[in-house]
Amino acid sequence: MNGLEELKEIIENKLSSIKSIEDLNNVRPYLLGRKGVFSEHIERIKHLDKEEKKTYGQRLNTLKLETENRLKELKAALEEKEREATERLSWIDITLPGKIPVVGNTHPITKVFYEIIEIFASLGFSVAEGPDIELDYYNFEALNIPPHHPARDMQDTFYIKEGIVLRTHTSPVQVRVMEAQLPPVRIISPGAVYRCDNDISHTPMFHQVEGLMVDKGIRFSDLKGILTIFIHEIFGDDTSLRFRPSYFPFTEPSAEVDIRCVICKGKGCRVCKDTGWLEILGSGMVHPQVFRNVGYDPEEISGFAFGMGVERIAMLKYGIDDIRQFYYNDLRFLSQF
Amino acid sequence: MRVPFEWLKEFVVIDISAHELANRLTMRGFEVESIESRKPCFSGVVVGCIKEIKKHPNADNLSVCTVDTGKEDVTVLCGADNISKNDKVPIALIGASLSDSTKIELRTIKGITSYGMLCSEKELGISDDHTGIFILPEDVATGARLEDLSGIMDFILDINVPPNRGDCLSIFGIAREVASILNQKAKRPIFRLEADPKEKAEDFISLQIHDTEACPRYVLRLIKDSSIVKSPFWMRDRINKCGMRPINSIVDVTNYIMLELGQPLHAFDYERLNDRRIEVRVAEKATVFRTLDGEDRGLEKGDILICDGKGPVALAGIMGGENSEITDNTRIIALESAYFNPELIRKTSRRLGIKSEASLRFEKGIDLDNVDFAAQRAISLMQMISGGKILKGNLEVNEAKKREGIFINFGKINEALGTAIEHRDVLNALRSIDLHILQEEDNGFVVSIPWFRHDINEQMDVVEEVARIYGYDNVPVTTPTLAMLQLKRSKKGRFINKAKDFLVSSGFFEVINFGFLGKKDIENFLIPPEDPRSSYVEILNPISKDYGIMRTFLAPNVLRNIAYNTNRGTKNIRVFEIGKVFFPDNNNLPSEHLHVFMAMTGREREYFWREQPRDYDFFDIKGIIEGMAGHFGLTFDFRTCTEPFMDKKRSADIYMDGVKIGWLGELREDVLKLYEIEQKTFCSELRFDRFIEWGQLDCHYKAISRYPQAIRDFSFFIEESIPVGNLIEKIKMLSPLIVSVGIFDMFRKDKRSVSFRVIFQSHEETLRDETVNNIQEKIIEELTKIDGITLRV
Repeated sequence: MNGLEELKEIIENKLSSIKSIEDLNNVRPYLLGRKGVFSEHIERIKHLDKEEKKTYGQRLNTLKLETENRLKELKAALEEKEREATERLSWIDITLPGKIPVVGNTHPITKVFYEIIEIFASLGFSVAEGPDIELDYYNFEALNIPPHHPARDMQDTFYIKEGIVLRTHTSPVQVRVMEAQLPPVRIISPGAVYRCDNDISHTPMFHQVEGLMVDKGIRFSDLKGILTIFIHEIFGDDTSLRFRPSYFPFTEPSAEVDIRCVICKGKGCRVCKDTGWLEILGSGMVHPQVFRNVGYDPEEISGFAFGMGVERIAMLKYGIDDIRQFYYNDLRFLSQF
Repeated sequence: MRVPFEWLKEFVVIDISAHELANRLTMRGFEVESIESRKPCFSGVVVGCIKEIKKHPNADNLSVCTVDTGKEDVTVLCGADNISKNDKVPIALIGASLSDSTKIELRTIKGITSYGMLCSEKELGISDDHTGIFILPEDVATGARLEDLSGIMDFILDINVPPNRGDCLSIFGIAREVASILNQKAKRPIFRLEADPKEKAEDFISLQIHDTEACPRYVLRLIKDSSIVKSPFWMRDRINKCGMRPINSIVDVTNYIMLELGQPLHAFDYERLNDRRIEVRVAEKATVFRTLDGEDRGLEKGDILICDGKGPVALAGIMGGENSEITDNTRIIALESAYFNPELIRKTSRRLGIKSEASLRFEKGIDLDNVDFAAQRAISLMQMISGGKILKGNLEVNEAKKREGIFINFGKINEALGTAIEHRDVLNALRSIDLHILQEEDNGFVVSIPWFRHDINEQMDVVEEVARIYGYDNVPVTTPTLAMLQLKRSKKGRFINKAKDFLVSSGFFEVINFGFLGKKDIENFLIPPEDPRSSYVEILNPISKDYGIMRTFLAPNVLRNIAYNTNRGTKNIRVFEIGKVFFPDNNNLPSEHLHVFMAMTGREREYFWREQPRDYDFFDIKGIIEGMAGHFGLTFDFRTCTEPFMDKKRSADIYMDGVKIGWLGELREDVLKLYEIEQKTFCSELRFDRFIEWGQLDCHYKAISRYPQAIRDFSFFIEESIPVGNLIEKIKMLSPLIVSVGIFDMFRKDKRSVSFRVIFQSHEETLRDETVNNIQEKIIEELTKIDGITLRV
């Protein structure tokens, strides 16, 4: 029976020295390998008698199996430990900021343009455009504003030379379109317009959308209907509005459209000058003289036109209080829309 | 037009509040922009009547007055000397307070106690006049509270009168609208004209009108021996409230009548008129004339002149002459009331830059029927205030033509408005604004238009009046019943949207700038004179030098935007603008091109915790341009830069199909400095019209190969003189099986090493190694054939 206790002790020592998979791999051949600690004991069996051979062999075998099991357990434990360690290394702090893609933005004027165009497109209006530098004829005369007409005072005009101006409104497009085609006409014309004005509430260039609908039997009540739809679409269905008599040389009857002040809801404030109402667009039935100027017969057809300032609508929609903000192009402004 | 509420009440009974009236006027087309409220800033002041005035026994400059306050007689000390017995004066009783918050208390001066104080207008806070005690009209009741005096409590409506409604540039004109709103008729002012039966105006002066187109109606009335005094409070008060300044009794009356009736008047010093005659004519040649403000004015053919026997004495409807102006010595006043051709007045006023209250009214057209009435009213007021004798009769030329009636179809009105207004209501509406129905028929009527309504000339003008009076609110809300139309989408609009989508998703913000530049910008960018960008469209009347011309390129304005941002701490910027540029065209309107400008400066983001972002460089902007070209199915080629404002080594001109369409790269540092930009800025400007012309909105699907790709990498040493970009194209051309060629590595170590990755793929089969190897050999052979390229092994 000699040596077995000794062997047990050797095995115990070796096993307790294992701290990693690597140690384990190194120790394993020493314990279980062909030239391992068991080999000399197995050799010794040969010299024992039959009876002893049996018992010794059995005990030796049990010890070997035990050792094998111990190694297996140890391996599993070590692997688990190692896995935990790698996991700890690949851990991330999910509260760190992510990498937000840098995207830009279109200008708020563009956004409002799109919105207006979209609404009128849904009502069957096509987009028509014209030049920014325009003949006096189209900007004024054809629109029933002859030279020396008092209405020329309403719009301070930039002149390029005799008979050529920077358009003061996009209405000349109406005339160009009507000259080029017969009724029915359903257009809107978005674009830049220019007026000789530069102060806290005016910029020398700004943007307008004008619209024109000409057909047989178009009535003033239709103007009210179409513009009511538009206002409800752009400012919300609960926006109350009113049509108020006004004057434009190229429309008759003419109407200014006011909406309930979006700031004070009609109670009266600085923005609406205590009236509770905000002017939002000008409109009217196309003046018979304008029809005659383009060769349409005002007895046969009728129509309405309207125009609005895009900056003004944007200001009311977004709550911007200074028109000049649109033209500073401050990124802190542009990124908000 | 500023309209005192109290003055309006002289012509119409108003039983609604000023605010309600303002609202109703607004809904009639007379937008009331503000309502100013006038309240007394005194209390405890009543009307007193002076019973007795005695000298203060112990103070020379004071008088002792006995004043009836309506309840009792009180003793008051007074320092002013403009009072006399029986004058009605404001007396501040003990306990009263005045405009400067003075409290009235018992006061004893040299033995006599004053039980109140007589007040000047200034002390009451109703005007700046402090020259004496405010003498009240004789007919006010003794003992009445002074705040009840007409005009002290008032509202002033500031009305935005439409430009076509010159008739409402007068209190009476507004009263006419108010009367219509309140279902009344405005009452014309009532007065008595007491002329001297012995002296006739026609014996004093003669009148001749040479051009009745320019002046269809002209009236002269004369008054003799009037004294020029201060006007009474009520007149000055009303003139003040309307925003004009009272001057003296003669000038004030002419202004008062203009405000009241809308008829501008002019007073001549009769004795300064040569040959005692007035002639109205249209100037035939240029001459110089000194107006009463002492300025020499250049007159031109077409100006309407009022002349005496020698020459011009007034520039009709605009300003009188120095040579006939009334003075303190004037004994006889010749008062002119006339109608001048609106267009001629407007032309002259525009040319001379004189915009007077008179010209403003003449150029919109005044009431032709009111010309003599206004003269009579004025001359009678002058007599009432300034005394004197009115000469009998007038001198008048009246060539006003009768206006023809307009036939209006009832059906047309409702057809145009979408309403169902009763015939009776149509007629009543028009009558309420003093239009006369001449003839009524089943289907319509003939209406005559009074001469104060120059804006009504055809059926539609009358329809508008009906709509206005009927109320826009009462017109139903309908939608038209129309046939469908083909909605034409704008090709240009779709291209712009597509480009904006691309740029915005590439991190660019859109900017919008005014379409102007300054000439300085052309200089700043060193644009040579022969470059088209140096031939600009100039504005005749620019707002400032910086906005003096129409832009010929977009870059300068966007650089200003960049500076605006960097100055405010935003250093990392990507912006673009798509906008029009303008070039002169001799015979036509200037041509308008569409450009796109993109700029990037700084870096994508300031920092990121994982890695340090790098600054933008040339290849960032180039990538944007290549990406955008690809987005529209286009290919650009990049050539040596010729732009004077670019850093040539880091810039390129951009060509498409052999045509230059723009440039890109790094701007010169000195140019950037002129725009106060201190960081490297990479940008590009392109003709966007070319995208629209040549680009594609819609793509065509290409079948995707079902067979695997083969990938091969090659590395070469390539000398710097050989542009690598061209080699990519060269490799692509070598086989149809090459689907892409890219550069995945480049470094310099003695020589420049460039590594290409080439991808091969077939639509018919899985490529065999042999096939790919053959092409590979060909690539190596073709490239190394070039002097300066060797294979890196």
